[in-house]
Amino acid sequence: MLKREIAKRVFAKEFEACRELDKSERSVSEADSKSPNLLISPLGLILNRVFAVGVLTELDSIGTQNEMWKARIVDPTGAFTVYAGQFQPDASIFFSTVQPPAFIALTGKARIYEPEPGSVFISIRAEEANVVDEEIRNRWVVDTAEQTVDRLEAFSDALASGYRGETLREYLLEKGVSEDLAEGISIALERDSAPREFAKQLRASIREGLRVLSLESEDTAESRVDQKEFVLELLREMGGGKGVDYASFVDAAISRGVPEEVVEEVVRSLLAGGQCYEPKIGIIRLVG
Amino acid sequence: MDEKTAPHLEELTRALGDLEKTGIRAEFDKLLAFRVSPEVAKETILRKFGGKWRILKVKDLSASLKNFEITGRILDIGEKPLRPQEGVREGPSKLYTGVLADETGSVMFSSWKELPGSVGDVINIKNAYTRLWQNRIRLSIGEQSLVSKVSDSSLPLLSELSRTPAKKLIDIGAADFSVNTAACVLQLSHREVSVRGKQSKVISGVLADETARLPFTAWVELPGIDIGSIIRIEGAQIRMFRGMPSINLVSSTKVSSVAAEDADKLAFTFESAAKDPAPLKIEEIASRDSMFDVVTAGNVVSVRPGSGIISRCPECSRVIQKANCRVHGKVEGIRDMRIKAVLDDGTGAMSVMFPRELAEIIYGKTLEEAEQLMFSDISKDAVYEDLRRFLTGRYLAVRGNSSNGEYGISFVAEHAWVPEDDLDVRVVELLRRLGPDEEEQGPEVSGGGVSFA
Repeated sequence: MLKREIAKRVFAKEFEACRELDKSERSVSEADSKSPNLLISPLGLILNRVFAVGVLTELDSIGTQNEMWKARIVDPTGAFTVYAGQFQPDASIFFSTVQPPAFIALTGKARIYEPEPGSVFISIRAEEANVVDEEIRNRWVVDTAEQTVDRLEAFSDALASGYRGETLREYLLEKGVSEDLAEGISIALERDSAPREFAKQLRASIREGLRVLSLESEDTAESRVDQKEFVLELLREMGGGKGVDYASFVDAAISRGVPEEVVEEVVRSLLAGGQCYEPKIGIIRLVG
Repeated sequence: MDEKTAPHLEELTRALGDLEKTGIRAEFDKLLAFRVSPEVAKETILRKFGGKWRILKVKDLSASLKNFEITGRILDIGEKPLRPQEGVREGPSKLYTGVLADETGSVMFSSWKELPGSVGDVINIKNAYTRLWQNRIRLSIGEQSLVSKVSDSSLPLLSELSRTPAKKLIDIGAADFSVNTAACVLQLSHREVSVRGKQSKVISGVLADETARLPFTAWVELPGIDIGSIIRIEGAQIRMFRGMPSINLVSSTKVSSVAAEDADKLAFTFESAAKDPAPLKIEEIASRDSMFDVVTAGNVVSVRPGSGIISRCPECSRVIQKANCRVHGKVEGIRDMRIKAVLDDGTGAMSVMFPRELAEIIYGKTLEEAEQLMFSDISKDAVYEDLRRFLTGRYLAVRGNSSNGEYGISFVAEHAWVPEDDLDVRVVELLRRLGPDEEEQGPEVSGGGVSFA
């Protein structure tokens, strides 16, 4: 009997960079034809099922004969492309009832589509999804950041060790890295020629994403919080839920005594925090 | 041996060893007698006995294994005459039962044939299988098993194997029969039970050391021992209940209080053992067969069918469908509510069962309110659908007992709550681990160029 597969926590940036993992590459052969199609990230995360929480910013019904939904879910590092069709009834029903923008939590299976060499599309085939609140989103970001940083550290350690292949796997196991990750890292290092670059970019994205999160809880920035509240309130007043022209919003804010750079900064942090987004250039719209 | 079957038999011999002795030949012939083609018969046999022998140690045994080889020393053996049953064809009339041990543990066995050895001898069993019997694993030696005596074995001697091992609570499992340990009494209560019609007093409670907690039951009085006592236990029996080991203190068990000066040498005190358990990752829970009273947290990734309002038989509390109990027939069901959900923290996934009291708390609706919803909606799954909408994606912490079985971990929650928001602290720690921005580090020294001093 198969055990339930773990839903991995991974940021969109790392997820998007995944590639197919050939079964023959695995040293621990599970000798099981039922084992799922696995992907591997540049950091060596082996995954199929994922759990993601982010902002649903776009939702399209793209099916012609059968029901098919395409959604975009944004996290601090990028966006997941999500599909749900007739064979994902739970997720399809959910998407038919939800209105973007909204915070949503989602489990699904990773899919890879490579129509021609060099162009790869990675997406999630949704299993279950639900609307959640901002706190759950923040917690997901922190949980995912922790697990990603664990990976990044194991990965840097592996690079620094200079080992490869089986020796590397044993070295990592010795260090207390999980079996799956130890194997994943040794496979990933065989494949990638410039692994450091991706790790560096990912670190920067996570750092940025976390800074935005922690902004709300900093005591020192109390006046900033007040100004943010004020700008947010103004945005709501002007019908931010439907979308507001950015230029006229800035004018309105200035007329109420908020300097332009503050408005800009607040809007930028709202955008990065996923509380609002730009459906079109020059238009900002509030989430939820 | 005719020409048609010869190559197949040859292949089987290569894969499985001696066919005559293990009875595989007889099985092959039986299939042929049913006019199964030799090729299909070969495949059937290969599938049944598996091409690959596994050599296992006692601690690796789990329920429903077959086709493995094991070597162990006989610690105990006895024989039981079997009552001949009417209408059953003449079979073996005796069952041999006992205990087999290696350096990793010991296991009860039952054999349908006489074994080539007695107490103290080492035997090797090929083609053995396991069954679950009275909540524990039993090694079965059947007609098709090949048993041989091993004369020169490196296994520990009988005296060593039969010595009761001293164990920490976390290491106690299904492979143990009798253990020595030192632990602290966290809970203790007296109750009366009737054993074979006789009223007797038992003491039950919870023991703890620095590694884990386990339930215990004492069938004897424990003078001078109460909550907070640190005790040394010698020769306690381990029984399995719902996949969870429990420590049984019986008349042959020696229980003594640990003197204050010796207690200082232990790695725990009552205060440290009584503290609420620290949260574990689900990965850690998955690495054990069972865990008693542990805390973990994760996201509800799925609410399973069967959650919501259910009916139970008033006699046996089994869940019933359409007012029909499997055992008691047509009954007036009693309504109950429960939630079965998959909790996942990214390191592991487990199926968690929330009984009614907890289901009401985490759902925020009482059974009565949920019933209102059920009656007001046409869909019979109204409560289940509502639960899914409410719970999917949420973050929950649970405290309870886990057992790891064929279908992964099942966890019975005794407490459930939404964990406190500790994100600020974690973000600060993460930013520290991520290090400063690359730009802030200043120009890199080893840019590949040569710097002239």
